[in-house]
Amino acid sequence: ENRESVLNSKSNRLTEALEEANKLFGGVSRAREAALDAQFLVIATNIGKEKASELHSEMSAFDSAAFAEDLLTFMGINRTEVEETDDSEDVPGGFLPTDAWQTVGEEATKYFRRAPTFHYMMGSFKSEPPVPKQRIERQKKASRGKAEQAMPAQLKRMEESQQEATEKEVERILRILQTHFENDPNTPISFFDFVIDPNSFARTVENMFHASFLIRDGLAKIKVDEDELPIIEPTKPSGRGEEESSAGARNQVVLSLDQKEWK
Amino acid sequence: QVSELVQFLLVKDQKKIPIKRADMLKNVIREYKDASSEILNKAGRTLQEVFGMQLVEIDAKRHTYILINNLPRPEGEYLCKDKEKEKMGLLLVILSFIFMKGNSVKDSALWEFLRLLRVYPGKPHRVFGDVRKLVTEEFGRQKYLEITPIPLTDPPEFKYQWGPRAEKETSKKDVLNFVAKMQGKDPRFWASQHGEAEANL
Repeated sequence: ENRESVLNSKSNRLTEALEEANKLFGGVSRAREAALDAQFLVIATNIGKEKASELHSEMSAFDSAAFAEDLLTFMGINRTEVEETDDSEDVPGGFLPTDAWQTVGEEATKYFRRAPTFHYMMGSFKSEPPVPKQRIERQKKASRGKAEQAMPAQLKRMEESQQEATEKEVERILRILQTHFENDPNTPISFFDFVIDPNSFARTVENMFHASFLIRDGLAKIKVDEDELPIIEPTKPSGRGEEESSAGARNQVVLSLDQKEWK
Repeated sequence: QVSELVQFLLVKDQKKIPIKRADMLKNVIREYKDASSEILNKAGRTLQEVFGMQLVEIDAKRHTYILINNLPRPEGEYLCKDKEKEKMGLLLVILSFIFMKGNSVKDSALWEFLRLLRVYPGKPHRVFGDVRKLVTEEFGRQKYLEITPIPLTDPPEFKYQWGPRAEKETSKKDVLNFVAKMQGKDPRFWASQHGEAEANL
């Protein structure tokens, strides 16, 4: 009891208590009392240890409150706005953004040598479209091991989302093509203008890849214009669909484009 | 066997709970028990050479192991889920507090500090949920923190120190640098902590 008051560095309560215990021990004749005395000593030594550490004799003084304030600043606290909280009595006002701990976390990763958690097929690229479906299946079979028991749920999700991503990209490209055509129905776009991204060779390749899906599915077609350059245009919707697909020659074209040409 | 063990270790490490040698023997090595230490060594080498990870025994008595990253720190963005990052942020803050306060703190002191950061043991946190559980159970089981009861305290109190995983995955010097960066001061400002951090290397 009264641990806090004993801990107070200014108080001599601990010393006084020890002295009193010493005196009392003189009158002890039964084992039970000796046991109590021993118990008292254990508590006393713990308190003594705490008192010693509170003197900060080993460590340079560290102001944890200031540290907390600096952390809040780093997290992006907005001190001008006051948050409506019910426990705001001793917590200083200020609005913490939702990504506060994200910010600290991002910084924190630099200080740990944490082994990245191992997941099958956890792509590290967030926005780039994934490899085609066939390759996904093959890779999935190859990486299936005994330990895959824990993984199936996650794998399924990955596969679905990758498929969707490709389809979405293809759809998006089709819509762009169609929009352009709505605005200007008689000028097909130069294929190269359509697919080339002046800033990214990788993106260019992806665009070509997606465009090839459109062509494969008969949603767009490539022709060669007077200058012998390929142009792309959307095919007219289903009314004449059958006719188109039987008339449309199934040609295979290999378009090669390397980085030098792209530049 | 070796590759099976490597796979086993990689998957087991996902939760960051130390891996018991007994589990390795039971699930992977099984009948090859006599060659177990050789298999373990080879697995360790594979992990290092192929994945850049180190297999470290953190408890020689109970034979538990963890995987840590042995590659030089990446300059760019570290790839991991947001949830993981946020937890690491909280962990680093806690480890910093413990170190700067002399390597051991009472739970009441820790929670009082965390209150200043709007983190409360009794109140579900917007990001961390049940924070008390996260700190005492998850960080404890993962061996980032070593939580021991203080004898003869009623109600029971605990002291918090760095756990063996924290000792391996980071260092006092790194943590001191973090504190210094946050406070805009030179790490030598805290002379004794700095001395201890340098000696610790």
